[in-house]
Amino acid sequence: MSCKLGDDRPDWKSYALGELDSRTRQEAEKHVAACDDCQDQLAELRVTLDAMATLREEELPRRIAFVSDKVFEPRWYQKLFLRPSFAAAMVIAAAILVHAFVRPAGVPVTTAAQVDTRAIEARVTAQVTERLQSEMATAVNAAVTKAVADTEKHDDQRTALLLSATEQRYSDAADFLNKQVTRMYALNTGAGVR
Amino acid sequence: MIFREVEDRDLIAKARQGDVEAYNLLVSRWEKRIFNYLLRLVSNREDAFDLSQETFLKAYQNLRKLDDPARFSAWLFRIAHNEAFSLLRRRKPESELSEPRPRDFGGRMLPMELSLAVESALKTLSEDQREAVLLKVYQGFKFDEMAEILEIPVSTVKSRLYTALDLLKATLAPAVFRKDAGGAL
Repeated sequence: MSCKLGDDRPDWKSYALGELDSRTRQEAEKHVAACDDCQDQLAELRVTLDAMATLREEELPRRIAFVSDKVFEPRWYQKLFLRPSFAAAMVIAAAILVHAFVRPAGVPVTTAAQVDTRAIEARVTAQVTERLQSEMATAVNAAVTKAVADTEKHDDQRTALLLSATEQRYSDAADFLNKQVTRMYALNTGAGVR
Repeated sequence: MIFREVEDRDLIAKARQGDVEAYNLLVSRWEKRIFNYLLRLVSNREDAFDLSQETFLKAYQNLRKLDDPARFSAWLFRIAHNEAFSLLRRRKPESELSEPRPRDFGGRMLPMELSLAVESALKTLSEDQREAVLLKVYQGFKFDEMAEILEIPVSTVKSRLYTALDLLKATLAPAVFRKDAGGAL
């Protein structure tokens, strides 16, 4: 007895292989319950698939070479690119290169706006130069004044020291002479000398 | 299954950052499935092993090109498929001379014999048909995933698979239906 749905019968292969959505699956199950032809077709399919399931998975003859083995070692440039510092350096270098190529070339100054810019630039430069010169002169004067004052102070101190030393030396010499005169006097008079 | 996919994704992310142990774990998870798929496709253990090795090597070298880590399994099988068909094309003249013929599986069969009968019946299919059966029946891929692996439309996937199932049913019928009916047929 053939299926009354003919070519519109459920797709039993998709059904057996688990590819039907739940709604289509339910409709197919409802139909097969009352259709001998579809029951036979589905049963044959299931028996075939069951037979195929007897084929067992085989074990590998040996282990697959792992990444740690020589065959999986990355090449030198792969190792280099795995380093974050190198990768960052490459990115920066690439950015600099791109900027150099993309930046627009210089254009001759012809517009009014550009002339004004140059005038402002010159004025500002002059003002800055003048101010710098003034400040530098003030600083130099202050430094010279300070240096002269320091030198004068130093000279005064040195003079005072020399004077004091000379006075001391004259004083010592006078004392020595007095003692010598006193001793000679005593020798001549015979008084107080042993 | 979802949990497993998440884990694979994590391992892929780590392997991309140079974590070799993460990739080793991925290899150990998938090597048996890849090996068996290749074994049934090329019908030679040594060739299947060499192709498995090549598959994992190429997958590692191209891991950064994998756009969606959730599609890792389909992507990996795609690499295995390319490796297998590259070999099959090279050995084509030899295999054409020794095209297996359907065997008579008459009589009641033990499970081991049935398994051998299935193995033999698979070899009678064309390579494209056999691959469709392997991906669907033994690896459990959906039609759209198979289309992605094989780079063909879903309609072609279904056509190859349905033809293969009809051929297998016809080839195995004498064996499976006698066994199923306890020798009554």
